[in-house]
Amino acid sequence: MRKENPMDRERFVELLDAYGADFRRWPAEARAAGVAYAAQEAEAAALIAEASKLDQVLEAARESDEPSPDLVARILVSAPRAQRPAFDRRALFALAACAVFGVVLGYSGGLLAPMPSEDDAYFTMAFEAPMAFEDE
Amino acid sequence: MIDPDAELVRSAGAGDVRAVEALVRRHLPKMVGVARRMLNDGAEAEDVAQEVFLRVWREAPRWKPGQAKFATWMHRVALNLCYDRLRRRREKTDPDAGLMVADSRPLASEEWLARQRAAKVHAALAELPERQRAAIALVHFDEMSNIAAAEILEISVEALESLLARGRRALKAALADVVQDLIGGAEGAP
Repeated sequence: MRKENPMDRERFVELLDAYGADFRRWPAEARAAGVAYAAQEAEAAALIAEASKLDQVLEAARESDEPSPDLVARILVSAPRAQRPAFDRRALFALAACAVFGVVLGYSGGLLAPMPSEDDAYFTMAFEAPMAFEDE
Repeated sequence: MIDPDAELVRSAGAGDVRAVEALVRRHLPKMVGVARRMLNDGAEAEDVAQEVFLRVWREAPRWKPGQAKFATWMHRVALNLCYDRLRRRREKTDPDAGLMVADSRPLASEEWLARQRAAKVHAALAELPERQRAAIALVHFDEMSNIAAAEILEISVEALESLLARGRRALKAALADVVQDLIGGAEGAP
């Protein structure tokens, strides 16, 4: 914070000229000294009243800074949006797990299946039978 | 330096809707206000505010807290956009640019007087050199601290005080009749 020199008439008038009569607009480090000076110097009240005139005129012309709903909508529409991942990682993992499980199941199923024996020959014959009839 | 907007800006940049809305709620009125006082034109002020936020959305994903606070950076963007528009106005030399159009509807006399006074104040502000106008917009109307306003204008606090004092002196001279009308009348009232 900038160090403020002790308040005297010259500095008091400088601050009124720059910041106006409302001490809330004054530099933080000068406010207390300004209030104290105003309380102890008889002339200060007239100086404050003079500076206050412009403050009042400016305040009387203050307009609402409230933006129109249309502007708010336009700005919100133009805001960035969260990027959704092209694939959900969990779904991708589940899909891969299913594929691996399917391959393993298919492979182990083939190994566990009984080897064809001669007793199964009639199954093969069953499909050949129609051709035998055709020949007759 | 702690930037009160840092977290919001980071979240908004990542597309967090709530952070986006909070940033708009916190800063949009200030952007509209400062642009309105610089340009003396409501529609142009809203265009500037929208342009500021387009830049905010562009910068937010890569914003890194640095020397300037985010709000300071936003005000600088807004003021630079206003300076550009004022320069273009001067180049066009359109005498009506930035002037408020008088409302032709019949008004009660007190309301009409208030509007007349406000129009004179806005016209006087518009006549100030740009930097003086910006200093008064930030310190008087936005009630910003001298340090924050000086940082936005990239000048020392002493230079800010000088701009404010010269601006206020010019306004006082230009608005002597309004002061008399508004305060002289009130003082004389029983």
